[in-house]
Amino acid sequence: MKFNIPIGPQHPALKEPISLRMTVEGEVIRDVDIRLGYNHRGLEKLAEERSWIQNIYLTERICGICSHSHATCYVQGVEKLMEIEPPKRGAYIRYLVAELERIHSHLLWLGVAGHEAGFDSFFMYTWRDREVVMDLLEMISGNRVHYAMNTIGGVRRDLDEALVKKILDGIQILRTRSEFYFKIGANEPTFVGRLAGVGYLSKQQAIDLCAVGPTARASGITADVRKDDPHAVYDEVPFDVCTADSCDVLGRTVVRIKELMESYKICEFLLKNLPAGEIAVKAPKRAKPNEVVSRYEAPRGENIHYIKSNGTEKPERLKVRAPTLANYPATIQMLKNGFIADIPLIFAAIDPCICCAERTVELVNARTGEDRVLRFSQLRALAAERYKNLPMQRNAVWPF
Amino acid sequence: MTDLELTEKLKAVLGEKLVEISNPARRRVFMTVEAKNLAAVFEVLRKDLGYTYLATVSGVDKGEVYEIVYHLGDAHGNLNVRTQIPKADPHLPSICAVIPGAILYERELQDMFGIVVDRIPDPRPLVMPDDWPAGNFPLRKDWKFDRPREIIPGGKK
Repeated sequence: MKFNIPIGPQHPALKEPISLRMTVEGEVIRDVDIRLGYNHRGLEKLAEERSWIQNIYLTERICGICSHSHATCYVQGVEKLMEIEPPKRGAYIRYLVAELERIHSHLLWLGVAGHEAGFDSFFMYTWRDREVVMDLLEMISGNRVHYAMNTIGGVRRDLDEALVKKILDGIQILRTRSEFYFKIGANEPTFVGRLAGVGYLSKQQAIDLCAVGPTARASGITADVRKDDPHAVYDEVPFDVCTADSCDVLGRTVVRIKELMESYKICEFLLKNLPAGEIAVKAPKRAKPNEVVSRYEAPRGENIHYIKSNGTEKPERLKVRAPTLANYPATIQMLKNGFIADIPLIFAAIDPCICCAERTVELVNARTGEDRVLRFSQLRALAAERYKNLPMQRNAVWPF
Repeated sequence: MTDLELTEKLKAVLGEKLVEISNPARRRVFMTVEAKNLAAVFEVLRKDLGYTYLATVSGVDKGEVYEIVYHLGDAHGNLNVRTQIPKADPHLPSICAVIPGAILYERELQDMFGIVVDRIPDPRPLVMPDDWPAGNFPLRKDWKFDRPREIIPGGKK
């Protein structure tokens, strides 16, 4: 006998509106349908009516977590259209903020993963330490969420010596803490056992379904826009692409912790080699008729903007593809033949950002549904119940 | 593989299916093909050149025609396949048989431009609400949104 379980669109744990419809047989998920568009903002249409500079404000508000990613992706494309290049110092500061943003996003995700796996002390540790990087971002830009650092032709705020030292100190603290998480993860068999083998996505499936970011890299694909298509400073900065071969949620966790380490390395390199000079150049008001494809590695994966200009002050077309949208087909595959108890963990593992994927505004609060509708907290309780009596996967090990 | 090598290789492999090819910037190659050849072109790109990753599909309203741009990526950069379909009869073949990950982008095209994607595995609307009036396609240039006047019940006339 088959049942349909809807999760969302309004849901206490999802925070943003998306509807997952599961067809279950007993406890096994047989089919998944994802429905989007519960709060479509029509941002691409709106961008056609705004000037180049106004659109920075707009693109920054595509997402809250990776606000800098969208603004940077847009700005680096527009700079190519206007045939200007940001000064070196400006570019270094821009990508320093980008890496700090990646650090805060990955720490946030680690906390969520710990929470969904029932490891709440891990969640509290990571979120406490995330405050360090949030404070650094606030010191640099004056804002915690929308940094508003980008402008066409550079950045809007400079760094001074004292701030550089503070950032370096903060990164040192974060690095020590991340090494600690790596140790916890490796030495906590319940945590490893809970994550191993959940949400399997084979390499071939990840390739076919065009997965991006840590989701793809955890399935053994070495795709990273920073390496494949080095934009701006990334061809000068030494770093490695982190991958894992376990193709499951454990792999996605390992990839993100390793990426944290790489991001610390990049930040330190950028700060120690920060060139002197201007931070921005003056940008023209209009761009010649042309087109550009701008790619950027956001914390969740490749972010791509296709921008077309027509010689006026406004873009002819701005197409935005956020990484979460690209990972939906892969998520369907991961959920299939899994257990209901694993839904929160698997869905959280792609680090879903629904406002990115839909260019929608965040919808706060939710209501409970009918009897058949399960709450996330109930799901989590179900998960705890199921795994309490299950023999642990003792053979699962942390891949170093 | 450099951009020049890639351009030469594409010319050799695709032959007369390739209408035009350009290389406006480093690691950016744009090529134009006819819409009826799309599936065959993607088959070749996947099998012979190893392009498996489709980043997204962009639609542009150019007045008389729709321009559809498929953005592909690999370790060497970015290849963009461009095609045009007439606005009067907007039919586009689906490439989901070759690249299954294209499904969401094709559904988005259907919603936003009213393009009919032939042989699409799942033609349901993706981002538009269920009660969205038929025949309204927001990203068409001639589509304008008129916000219905808000009437407050019991308010002033």
